[in-house]
Amino acid sequence: MRLTVFAALFFFLAGGAAHAQLSDAGDPEEFAEELKRGEADTTEGKEIDPWEGFNRKMFAFHNVFDENLLVPLAKVYRATTHKKQRKGIRNFLDNLKTPVILANDLLQGEFDRAGDTLGRFAINTTVGFGGMGDPAERIGIAQHSEDFGQTLAVWGLDTGPYLFLPFFGPSTLRDGFGAAVDTGLDPSFYYRSDAMATAKYVRAGATALAIREPLIEPLDDIKENSLDYYASFRSFYLQSRKREIQNGRTNYDELPDIGDFEEFDEE
Amino acid sequence: MNFIQKAAVAVLLAVTVAASPAFANDAAEQFVQKVLDEAQPYLELEDEQAQLDGIATLVDKYVDMRHIGYFVLGKSARQITSEQKEEYFPLFEDYARSIYQEALTRYSGERLAVTGSVDRSEKNIFVQSKVANAKPGDEYADTLIEWWVHVNNDGEMRIVDAGADGIFLSIEQQETFTSIIADNGGPPAGIDALIENIREKVDD
Repeated sequence: MRLTVFAALFFFLAGGAAHAQLSDAGDPEEFAEELKRGEADTTEGKEIDPWEGFNRKMFAFHNVFDENLLVPLAKVYRATTHKKQRKGIRNFLDNLKTPVILANDLLQGEFDRAGDTLGRFAINTTVGFGGMGDPAERIGIAQHSEDFGQTLAVWGLDTGPYLFLPFFGPSTLRDGFGAAVDTGLDPSFYYRSDAMATAKYVRAGATALAIREPLIEPLDDIKENSLDYYASFRSFYLQSRKREIQNGRTNYDELPDIGDFEEFDEE
Repeated sequence: MNFIQKAAVAVLLAVTVAASPAFANDAAEQFVQKVLDEAQPYLELEDEQAQLDGIATLVDKYVDMRHIGYFVLGKSARQITSEQKEEYFPLFEDYARSIYQEALTRYSGERLAVTGSVDRSEKNIFVQSKVANAKPGDEYADTLIEWWVHVNNDGEMRIVDAGADGIFLSIEQQETFTSIIADNGGPPAGIDALIENIREKVDD
């Protein structure tokens, strides 16, 4: 059901974006060239976010839900649990993602990382008390994340336009589609029972709180300092997502040129 | 110059050119470590205001606000008028300084140490640092704090951006600023709107 809704949304949105450019923003050469041209062009940022109008509305809507429900619940969650318990819950939820991570490791041809994923699952599910602990980390098998959006990136697909959906949060067309595929890569998708339905809701709720709780202060800071919370949020998300896809490495060549503005003051 | 002399000069030049990025590398690392060492006593201060004041001095000394100020305007950097520049730059400096202050005071009580560097070009070097002596599980134990060092035409090194785990402040600011300029009709009106936006933030 969720998949159908997502697919419908996907096509609806894709239809509206027939003229959207799918290129990554921030190519240094392109940037330098554009600077040289110096046209009265105001389309900056539009390349990655052609649906800005729609996204801003969704972002505003989501923030009402975020401020009035998610953040208060996240604060309750923080007040009623110990830091170590929260770490345990995060570990447990991460461990549940093993099938999705493993499938995507394999689809990307990252067999070493697939081995890590399997090893972590075996160790943490047993010695780590069903995934609450992370003894695998202590013996040097660090956690990593993978999803189908990242797999598509590795296969060479561009991010596509930025997309913000209420409840789903920030994404891009590619990664939103990837999230739908990941739902299907999760074995729990194929189990139908009342108990499983409840378990899925609990898992979704717990995941939302586990993600939001450590972000209470950082997002407050961004909101407080930024001239445009929407644009800052988008930038932080896209920058960190890019790094995640590169498995935690920054591609410095992709960053724009900051230097060389000296001539500007000589005019 | 005979052939052998010419060849010797060519080889020397080639070696110098090949070696220069690595050279810049060390110099940039030393530069950032010096800045971090100077920041250290301020980060240890108990008094919050004294801490902020100390960091502000260092930001003014080592961060190239003029460059960043232009960069964050994106394409509009070409279109800002001299009257707008006079208003914009002092306000931007106040705004950006406060962002740096806040980012750095997060590490108060910690010691930052340079761990390496990547030189993208001779003029753009990314110096990496981490919280020294952090215990596993500490909040910032694994955070990679990076300093974008730019060498200007006079050969001086200045910081033009700071990042944590691959998220850079100036890049975020550029997206925000250009978005405000575009949403207000592009330059010059959009730049005026941006200036007013910054003024409101700074006055808060």
